This record gives sequence, structure tokens and C-alpha cells, in this order.
Amino acid sequence: MDPGRPAGRKGVVEKQMKLLKEIFRDKHTALVFRMVLGLTFLYASLDKIAYPQNFSQIVYNYKILPSFVVNIFAITLPWVELICGLFLIGGIFLESSSLLILILLAVFTIATSFNVFIRGIDIQCGCFTASLAAKKQGAELLFRDVILLLMSVQVFLFNQNFATLPGFYQRILYRWLLK
Amino acid sequence: MRQRQSFSSVLLKAAGIVCAGFVIGILNNSFSPRGIELVGNWGNKVISDSLVVPNSYEPEDPEAVTLSQALKSFESEKAVFLDCRVKEDFDSGHIKGALSLPWEEFEVYFPEVKSSLGDAKEIVAYCDGTECELSLLLARELAQLGYQGVKVFFGGWLEWTRAGLPVEKGS
Repeated sequence: MDPGRPAGRKGVVEKQMKLLKEIFRDKHTALVFRMVLGLTFLYASLDKIAYPQNFSQIVYNYKILPSFVVNIFAITLPWVELICGLFLIGGIFLESSSLLILILLAVFTIATSFNVFIRGIDIQCGCFTASLAAKKQGAELLFRDVILLLMSVQVFLFNQNFATLPGFYQRILYRWLLK
Repeated sequence: MRQRQSFSSVLLKAAGIVCAGFVIGILNNSFSPRGIELVGNWGNKVISDSLVVPNSYEPEDPEAVTLSQALKSFESEKAVFLDCRVKEDFDSGHIKGALSLPWEEFEVYFPEVKSSLGDAKEIVAYCDGTECELSLLLARELAQLGYQGVKVFFGGWLEWTRAGLPVEKGS
């Protein structure tokens, strides 16, 4: 084989992998993922904030937390989700908010897989709605969790503080001071 | 390129976000008309239960217990629950923490279970429900072997699951 010619099947695959890696590390990708995650969490928190009674029932059904913390968890978690969602969209404390989202998603994934695969029970997710009548999902839910989890890892690592509200205001301030 | 912040400062801000969520959540809950108690009253309680025993039950047999008594033993975590049904039934669902001791194969399974019974203060035998007498046969056998605190929960799997009490799957 001619070493001077990198073409061939292997070369193409390598090139594609490299491109994929570049896309994954790109700050624009981080911006898109940030928006997706932010809107998702923002949307997810609203119904839970509106109906704490239902949501606490769902948290209780997971049968993972001791019963005396169920209500406090159900009252406060949606607000943490809401703040993180807003911060991700606005680009405020990006590392911290994406880290929190990452941890939350990891906990949700573990809790769901624990119930689906180990206990073999399919319960209400309580992800986007506090309605007890919502359909149960199980495996589908886990798939979604893992995708979102990957997105949060990407945002945490490669956001580069690109297109953030604080950065925007900083630039305006500089411009005004330099005039 | 902008310098990355130290991980501890990232963690500190994350803790701040959690605290903010916590405070806002509690405040919102106390002012909201849909607010709930901070510590909920979860779990189950039995408000009425009955003791139904099979005709073959004799006064000198091991004590028969109701659902609420069985639940009390369960919550004390000092009782060992023995499931007398066949292994397949046990695998597809049983009282949480129960051990499998199918009456039909007592000799096969008893050596395995024996070690866990050593210092048990209470042993609760159960099977499907009142129609099932395996638990009584097993309890008699254990009492004869000299075990103390042997009880029969005739309500069994049926009453336990109807009440939505803790169960688990697998062996």
C-alpha cells in the first residue's frame, strides 16, 4: 500500500470520526444542547410546581426515598429544575447548572432503571407531568434519559461560555465604557 | 480562550442553586393554596382485619396472625418471613425480604434457610391465602423442630398484595 495516500476505507472512517469529535466538542453544539436541555427542564418543572400533591404521590411511588423526605423533595426539586433550566438557556453559571442537570439526570436514570429492571415495576415517571393518569414508559424513558445525559455532559465540558447573557451584558458595558 | 473556573467554585455555585431552589420551593409551598405538608403521612395502616383460619387449624397449633399483626412483625424487622409456595411463585413475587421454603421440597430447601432462622425471634409462615394450608403444615413442622415464635399468616400473599404492602421479585 502506498503510505503517501491516506485514502481508502479506513481513512474515510477516521475522517468521519474526527469530524464527529469536532462537532461534539464545538461550542455551537453546546449552545443547541443547552437550549434543548434548558427548555426541557423548564417545561418539566412547571406542572410539578403547579401540582405538588400529585408529584409527591409519584415520588412516593418510586419507593426509594424515606417517606419523611418525600414531600420536601417533591416541593423543592421542581424549583431546582426550573432555575437550572433558566440558567442553561441564559448561560448563567453554565458549568454549575449543567453539572446539576447532569447529576439530576443520572439520579433519574438510576431510579428508573432500578424500578424497571430490578424491581420489575413500571411506575409513573413524573418527568413532565404530575398527572397520575399519564402513560407508563419504562425502557423508552431510559433511552431519553441517556440521550439527555450525554447532552448535559457535552454542555458541561465544551460550553466555552459561548452566547451567554452575562457575556452579552459585559460586552455592552465595555463598549459603553470605551466610548 | 477563557480560563476554566476551579471545580470547587463550580460546586459551590451548584450548591447555591440547590439552596435557592430549596428556599423558593418551601416559600412557594407555604403561600400557595395547593401547598402540601412538609412531612407527608405516607405508608399504610390497616383499619380493620379479620382472622380466617382453615378448618384443620387446631387450638394447639402455632399462633395464627392477622394482616396487621403480620405487618407489625414485618416492620419490627425482627421476623423472618417464610414463603411456602413453590419456587416459581416465589420468584415471580413475594413479601419483601421473605425466604423461599416450599413445603413440597422441605428437605431440599430447609438446610439453606436454616442458617437464617438461627437467632430469629419470630418466624412467619405464609402461602397464597386462606385456602392454602402449606403455611400451617410448615409452621407445625418448625414448632416441632423446636423453633420459638412460629406464626402462621393465613391471609398470605393475597392479603399482603391487596393491601399494597412491600413486595419484591426474583430469588
